[in-house]
Amino acid sequence: MQMCPHCNAQQLDGTIFCTDCGGSLLVIGARKETTASLGQHLSEVDLPTQPTVIAAPEPPQQATGGYIIRLVVLNSGRRMELDAGEELLIGRKDNAKGIFPDVDLGLDGGYDAGVSRRHAVITLQNGTCTLQDLDSANGTFINDQQIPPRVSTPIRHGDELKFGTLLLRIELE
Amino acid sequence: MSPGIQLRWTLSRDMLPESDEQQLMYVLLEAAPQGLPTSLPKLPLNLCLVIDRSSSMRGDRLMQVKDAAQRIVDQMSSDDYFALITFNDRADVVIPAQRVKNKPELKRMIGNVEAMGGTEMATGMALALQETQRAMLRRGVSRIVVLTDGRTYGDEGRCVEIARRAQGRGVGVTALGIGDEWNEDLLETIAARENSRAHYITSSQEITQVFGDELKRMYSIFAQDVQLQVEMRPGSLIRSLDRVRPFIAPVTIAEERELTWLSKLGDWPGSDVQAFLLELIVPALNTGDHPLLRMNLRYDLPGANLHNQNSEAVLRIAIRPLESVTYEVDATVKHWLERLVAYRLQAGAWQDVESGRIEEATRRLQMAGTRLFEAGEVDLARTVQDEATRLLRSGNTTSEGRKRIKYGTRGLMGKGDMSKEREA
Repeated sequence: MQMCPHCNAQQLDGTIFCTDCGGSLLVIGARKETTASLGQHLSEVDLPTQPTVIAAPEPPQQATGGYIIRLVVLNSGRRMELDAGEELLIGRKDNAKGIFPDVDLGLDGGYDAGVSRRHAVITLQNGTCTLQDLDSANGTFINDQQIPPRVSTPIRHGDELKFGTLLLRIELE
Repeated sequence: MSPGIQLRWTLSRDMLPESDEQQLMYVLLEAAPQGLPTSLPKLPLNLCLVIDRSSSMRGDRLMQVKDAAQRIVDQMSSDDYFALITFNDRADVVIPAQRVKNKPELKRMIGNVEAMGGTEMATGMALALQETQRAMLRRGVSRIVVLTDGRTYGDEGRCVEIARRAQGRGVGVTALGIGDEWNEDLLETIAARENSRAHYITSSQEITQVFGDELKRMYSIFAQDVQLQVEMRPGSLIRSLDRVRPFIAPVTIAEERELTWLSKLGDWPGSDVQAFLLELIVPALNTGDHPLLRMNLRYDLPGANLHNQNSEAVLRIAIRPLESVTYEVDATVKHWLERLVAYRLQAGAWQDVESGRIEEATRRLQMAGTRLFEAGEVDLARTVQDEATRLLRSGNTTSEGRKRIKYGTRGLMGKGDMSKEREA
């Protein structure tokens, strides 16, 4: 027997896709980029262990007033808790180009959803959270309203943010 | 070469590691007609169209349906039977079953159909079964084709019961739904037997194409009463059998007697390659080459006047010591399995939605999306993602999205998909 890495269900040896959750039981070797998102649709419990989020540089605790920004990817249910630094880059990781965003949406089908490598940036200053589109190819939207590129637009707790077609919700505490 | 059906099988893995546990193995079984004469003597067709003429069909829809029906009459030959039933609040025999001799008159009668009233399907189907049996055919292909754009009220049970009676008598039922109002559970239940299928038509422009394809399929039928018999090695089990080509559908297979399983597969159009995916539980085996099962396909070839033909294949499996076995999976088997898993996931998701398990449903849809992406079905994957997002946000899905996903995952939608299927 083997255990499904996605839902922990017991599966017969030789099973290719879990009969419970449909997740792949194949060992992921060196594959094309899109398969990297395989197995990212996990239950929330397993997710914080994924080191997909690089801590923002020098989180000034007092300046931000101890804010926690939480991003929820609506299609996968993935939640990310971020210590609010000055800037959080949202995009897709590209080792070759040396782009390592704070929030890597490549893991949530970001490529197919049209997320740019450097898509947008979230800034927290004086207790106000703003979102700025970095001339992304497919645009950034707050509650379905496209925001102009290169302009900081305020966002509030509970807003729905869309990068390309990938939808996230932001929670501020 | 004498005409027949050629069987070919592919295992998910060339060899399995020696183990003292059961292991799962996937078998892709492909069956293709071979040695068919280029011009197949066509079997006489006994076709009954059942058309919804409720008021919602008024306008373009009914016009397209009538146009498509007239084209069908044009393509039929004089040894075929044709009948037309319409239904709204009641059902009428517009054209009683008759040989297709006076085409202008038949087409004029089709042209006179007008839309009005409600939707009650069962009476229409009952009349259709009656007309189908009026035709005098010693051999041939009998079909009822039902087209509706709505929900029938209160007679769903009767519809299914009539469909079963028809199917039991070798009359297949094709259920076509147009628009996004019709009851897909009902149409799918009606079609969940051999020689039957449901199809989703998104726009009236497609009607002619779908009718034409259906007619082509019926005319190309070369094998009838096809049955798959599988003799198993003691200790092994069939976990599931699904058709994956030309479209995905679970197939009933049951242990008829100890270690012998049987499945009825109905009539086969010569235009299709049929493919099935078998999930097989392999018992603990020692290193060596072992016969695992014997497959026997039995069928009639009415065009060639050949009955009780059969094709056989013995499936062998190589067991090797663990260290010498790599975990490589056959790409074709994986491709079809991936699509099948996506189909099963979305089916599970709708059940979850019915029972109010929204999170579970969302997760399944999400995973179905992942499987479809991996299988290269990008557009469909996106539709699934959108529906998953909508479900998570609002707790609801759209009727159109659900139909697109249901029929899309099965490969039962859009011309593009059908033509791809044929080229493959």
